[in-house]
Amino acid sequence: MMKRFVLPGVLLASVACSSATAQGVEADTPDDGFVWQLPAWLPRPAVPEDNPMNAAKVTLGRHLFFDARLSADGSTACSTCHDPALAFNDGRPFSDGVGGARGHRNAQGLANVGYSPRLTWASPVLASLEAHALIPLFGDAPVEMGNVGQEQALFERLRADARYRDLFDAAFAERGGEVSLFTLTRALAAFQRTLVSADSAYDRYQYGGDADALSASARRGEELFFSEKAECYHCHQGFNFTDTFATARSGFAESAFHNTGLYDVDGQGSYPAIDQGLYQVSAEPRDRGRFRTPSLRNLAWSAPYFHDGSAASLDEVLEHYAAGGRLTVDGPDAGDGSRNPLKNPLVLGIRFTGTERADLLAFLDSLNDPGFVANSAFSDPWPAAHPAALDRRTALDNVPDNAAVAPQVRPDRTANLPWLLAGCLFLLSLVALLRARADLSAVSPTSRS
Amino acid sequence: MTLRRSARAALLAPLVLSAFALPAALSPAHAQVTDGTAADITGDEPVSLRFAVEIGGEPFACGQSYTGIGRTEGAVAVTDFRLFVSELALIGADGQRVPVALDDDGRWQDGQVALLDFENGRDRCDNGTGPVNAQVSAQAPAGDYTGVEFVIGVPFDSNHGDPTLAGSPLNLTSMFWNWRGGYRFLKVDMVPVGGMAAHGEAPAHGEAVAHGGAMAEGKGTGHGGKMSHGAAPAGAWMLHLGSTGCTSTSRTSAPPEPCAQPNRVTVEFDAFDAASDLLVIDPAALLADSDLGTNTPDTSPGCMSFPGDADCAGVLPRAGLAYGDLPGGEQQLVTVRSGAR
Repeated sequence: MMKRFVLPGVLLASVACSSATAQGVEADTPDDGFVWQLPAWLPRPAVPEDNPMNAAKVTLGRHLFFDARLSADGSTACSTCHDPALAFNDGRPFSDGVGGARGHRNAQGLANVGYSPRLTWASPVLASLEAHALIPLFGDAPVEMGNVGQEQALFERLRADARYRDLFDAAFAERGGEVSLFTLTRALAAFQRTLVSADSAYDRYQYGGDADALSASARRGEELFFSEKAECYHCHQGFNFTDTFATARSGFAESAFHNTGLYDVDGQGSYPAIDQGLYQVSAEPRDRGRFRTPSLRNLAWSAPYFHDGSAASLDEVLEHYAAGGRLTVDGPDAGDGSRNPLKNPLVLGIRFTGTERADLLAFLDSLNDPGFVANSAFSDPWPAAHPAALDRRTALDNVPDNAAVAPQVRPDRTANLPWLLAGCLFLLSLVALLRARADLSAVSPTSRS
Repeated sequence: MTLRRSARAALLAPLVLSAFALPAALSPAHAQVTDGTAADITGDEPVSLRFAVEIGGEPFACGQSYTGIGRTEGAVAVTDFRLFVSELALIGADGQRVPVALDDDGRWQDGQVALLDFENGRDRCDNGTGPVNAQVSAQAPAGDYTGVEFVIGVPFDSNHGDPTLAGSPLNLTSMFWNWRGGYRFLKVDMVPVGGMAAHGEAPAHGEAVAHGGAMAEGKGTGHGGKMSHGAAPAGAWMLHLGSTGCTSTSRTSAPPEPCAQPNRVTVEFDAFDAASDLLVIDPAALLADSDLGTNTPDTSPGCMSFPGDADCAGVLPRAGLAYGDLPGGEQQLVTVRSGAR
């Protein structure tokens, strides 16, 4: 089945227009005095000319992002599948749309999505967050938020909320605060461009000058990652560890799609028919199984892995690359992916020692950014009882088919270790403080009891 | 190291260089440069070098197959063709080299390095960028010039920075190795028609003799990081030139000292007229002794410049670069085609 994105004709012009402005990487766009929350070393994301950043727009976008009224039945917000507590993933193999509609791709995290000049797992043309927003909102194959043909009803729902009248007025004064496809998609995109994750242990080590931020094991893992033995870095390149990448300083929007030998169901390179990647768009037979390289940041929260969520753990991912592809012994997807004739030539298998495997995992762990997950600027702005949040599904509301895999998905606890330690220290000092106070008052609770 | 084009004798007549990129019709004041008289340049004027890529004498196009390439005269499709040019100098009639600053257009050139890009991101040039660029533009100071010199490569001072932080064109993910090794100076990816043949155990890609910096650190040969897969028909023969033997504390830190094998190709033509001559880049001569249908086991697919790879032994000397015990010959990668602009 081809992955289709069917839009009412009236919307197509909007998509085309938005894509056109973001095809190349624009030179710097005025940001209306917007202050990016970026480390000094990091170039800004590219911003389309028709959507300069401003704080009011970001605030509006954040409200929209967490608002389940953006879906036809009030059950599904963007945050349902892109949950900030899971680094904007949903922790499931597939995400489900309204009314139990099944998706067939793993939701991707949104950390640094503003640096991705191509969006979704395998589109060579979807080049802006503005255009992308229309897919979950209005797509019908698969159905996600279920608004196809019902955009006026969607606008009415938002206009009825007094809070939105102020937010739209502030963000789009030049358009009279209109609630429209234009303003909706621009605000959502502006908010998502602020989702920058750049404070992992690795960032502090590589860019912050903190030589002690990485363990010896993680440093060995880095060496292996960037070596010609493991070859990881040829596709997982640069700041966001993907070869689909651009900043405001880039002259070109680079995008890359690779067949990594996950399947070979017919001995001729085919992936399972449900999703053949880039081929779904290009119809070029040699594009079967080619998917965009995902970022490797915040993997602790993004399991399961691969476009179809078919690897439950990073161990399974490393196993895949160690074998140079995956062997599926039986069932409809049976085949030896390592012999996929369309496989990227650099995925040829790696002989890892146990130590090397542990080192690589330690390095990948250093790319986790707990501060990103905990960033209050990215959190749900709605009160729990508000209609925006009342019936909202969360990432943890699994449907039965997903439940089998979902329990294996949990954040890597070691990634939270610094926070746990900080918490423990805080509690210990609190206890010490209380004890000190108690001592000072010379009335020890223990002595009294 | 200075390298001279092998066919220089064919162009004995000293052509007078016009430094002007502009068509004569748009630049009547300098029309005299086309009639063989010396250009008398006053002040900086634009100059552009025009390049073309051919594969075995045939014009390059993504997706097209070329026959008769290499020792086995096999057929290959070329799926990527990009290179960096820097250190441009014009050679005066008196033999003096005058360094010329490249233009900074924020995209193809940053003032020091220019990207030549012949892939269009379509057909079989997967994962490429759409736009192409076949020229290097600069501003030349006043003077009479009869020749040109440039380097295929990125100067050491720019070669090992963090590509994440660099400006265009040095922030293309497809053109860099790691910080230690720097950029790919030349990237020519080839896919043999019919796939890579089994060579012993097939198209293996090993930890090669320890690539890049690891080689400089004196690690041994081929301790086999990779497994081979007997019948895998997928495969590519890639020609990547870049610095090797670079020593630094990690793969993502810059070497404090120049690399043992910089592998920058110096191209020099004593007789060259920028207004009328075309610089033709054709890798076929470099590959004359190569079998593009096989890859030496436990080495990079094709020749990626790393020491100890038999697939490089025939290639780098023909690019004018010493390789192992082999001295560099005259570079055979670039030739001048007179009057072809």
